[in-house]
Amino acid sequence: MASITAPVGTPVPRVVPERASRGLWRDAVSRLLRNRPALVGLAIIIVFVVVAILAPVIAPYTPLGRDPGQVFKPPSAAHLMGTDRQSRDVFSRILFGAQISLTVGVVSVLMGLVMGGTVGALAGAFGGRADTILMRCVDVLLAIPGILLAIAIVVWLDRGLLQIMFAVAATNAPIFARILRGSMLALRESDYVVAARSMGAPTFRLLFKHMLPNSLTPLIVAATLALATAIIDVAGLGFLGLGPDDPRIAEWGTMLTGASSFYRQAPFIILFTGAAISVTAIGFNLLGDGLREALDPRLRR
Amino acid sequence: MTGVASDKRPLLLVEDLVVRFRTHDSLVHAVNGVSFELESGETLGLVGESGCGKSVTSLAMMRLLPKPAGRIEGGRVLFDDFDLVTLPERDMRDLRGREIAMIFQDPMTSLNPVLTIEEQMVETIQAHRKVSTLQARQRAIELLEMVGIPQPETRLRSHPHQFSGGMRQRVMIAIALALEPRLMIADEPTTALDVTIQAQVLELLRHLTTETGTALILITHDLGVVAGMTQRINVMYAGFIVETATTPELFATPSHPYTVGLLHSIPRLDEERPERLIPIEGTPPDQRRAPVGCPFAPRCAWRLEVCWTDNPALEPLEAGVRLVTTGPGATHRIACHNPPTPEEAAAGRPLRDGFVAAAPPGVLLDELAAVDDHVAALPGEEVALFPGDEGPTSTGPSAAGLPLPPEEGRR
Repeated sequence: MASITAPVGTPVPRVVPERASRGLWRDAVSRLLRNRPALVGLAIIIVFVVVAILAPVIAPYTPLGRDPGQVFKPPSAAHLMGTDRQSRDVFSRILFGAQISLTVGVVSVLMGLVMGGTVGALAGAFGGRADTILMRCVDVLLAIPGILLAIAIVVWLDRGLLQIMFAVAATNAPIFARILRGSMLALRESDYVVAARSMGAPTFRLLFKHMLPNSLTPLIVAATLALATAIIDVAGLGFLGLGPDDPRIAEWGTMLTGASSFYRQAPFIILFTGAAISVTAIGFNLLGDGLREALDPRLRR
Repeated sequence: MTGVASDKRPLLLVEDLVVRFRTHDSLVHAVNGVSFELESGETLGLVGESGCGKSVTSLAMMRLLPKPAGRIEGGRVLFDDFDLVTLPERDMRDLRGREIAMIFQDPMTSLNPVLTIEEQMVETIQAHRKVSTLQARQRAIELLEMVGIPQPETRLRSHPHQFSGGMRQRVMIAIALALEPRLMIADEPTTALDVTIQAQVLELLRHLTTETGTALILITHDLGVVAGMTQRINVMYAGFIVETATTPELFATPSHPYTVGLLHSIPRLDEERPERLIPIEGTPPDQRRAPVGCPFAPRCAWRLEVCWTDNPALEPLEAGVRLVTTGPGATHRIACHNPPTPEEAAAGRPLRDGFVAAAPPGVLLDELAAVDDHVAALPGEEVALFPGDEGPTSTGPSAAGLPLPPEEGRR
């Protein structure tokens, strides 16, 4: 076989000039870096993550530390965002609150990805009856508004960080399942999967080498956007009194509830806490949209 | 329909292959009893317009029909004594790529965008051969060299998007030939390529299959492509083979009205005085109806009364000859009640005195009128576009289970 070469008459095909030989991901990154809103989102997220990790170092006070006599003091040099009813420093509590939001957000989205991803991949890869049964269950979950589902789960499992994570994961999982199932189903009949099958590729390889990697991009986008909702959901649960079981823990939603009864004396607490929640959520949303544009070939240019 | 020409078994024998697509509200008769044979090293063209069942035939042979809609509902596909229709999926998977390989229409989408060429080639080789990755890689380099890709060692590490369309199709050919299959099915391999690249790729394909003795089934809508590439041609229409002959014979004496129509609808550069192109009027029949009568009758200028009700079998053009199904001496066969004479074929229209293509049976019009008023207002020609269900014995479209309202059926 080795002796066979292209026929003599065949012109040597032109080699495509390699555009700096970039991979698919490199391309996506460079597109992302040209997207200004996405960069803003990325900056917000970096600040958020750094703050969460370094909170014990940069916070001027501990989250529970009291400064006696300083109740509902407006922002000042000593207390950048003022103090709350228990005379605690709001700025420090917001910094520590970022820790909770980040952990709960990331862990719950990861849990949701594993749960929803498994269901979606199974349904999409095998289709038929498995698909019908799994997707009907997903439909049932999707029919319940996310926050209601989360409330129900936290009430059922009792309060606690782990329970909150699971509850938020459960609201995201059906969305992930549906997205992955959709792209897997489409890929099943795609040219290169049929081509790989026509060359006798084993089912296992088809699934994990050909279908799964190519269905991940919409999932990555959805997960980034889900981080935004997860942070809002966690705060929402906290606001509704379903936050961490220790009410003194600095959690943005719980802080918001605590401050809401005293919005006349100390409106700044609500303002700063609310801003922390919204800015973080906006950050993830901007990045998510940017990723969608960078990764979806149909939206290119 | 089995070969009587020789005692040698053909490499591939397709017998009465029936493929249908079921969706929740319709049944598409995609392939309606197709039979043909292929010997080792032979090249065969499957020609026909979009939707005539040529791709479906090949996908069915590979058992790659989209599931669960597409199903083989009858017939046999014998490859090397294995019936591919009933072969267990495990054996079928082993056969794919190793014995029968396939090249698809669009090289831009037939390679996995996230894997390098190396991964995809090594994967194919290792799926069938117990060789080390290093050996498989060496083989991949040889293959790329063979299909004329410069600097194969470097190119192996590229991703598909770094290749042009023609280069990707070369890679596809390299992958298809990786395991030295005995049969290669090329489904419109050049349709998605630039005209300038088409000839190169076809030449490469021909050269390599000849060199390796690989039998080739070339699927195309372009008679120009098969002309220089294949030894025999099957012309397909609406899921039937309507004419089969050796390539020189088919071009010299096209004998089915559809083939005649095809040849007159493409421009030829080798004629001194270019004649006017004659388009084939109308559209192919709606294959959601069970075929009754000759599928080409509604568009045929040579049709007789009988064409509306009886679908002619594929018979030798000259009666009484010994049937040869493969090779250079293959019998020229057509499925037609009223074949054009050579003079008519040359002119592209009937030349007989006073010959008028038969109108659809009157009973059809009356019965349709009884069901739906505005159909009766149409000229017979247009009603004829959906003759499929209406034998004279049925009692109207509803009895025949017409799935479409007449308005849609007409277009």
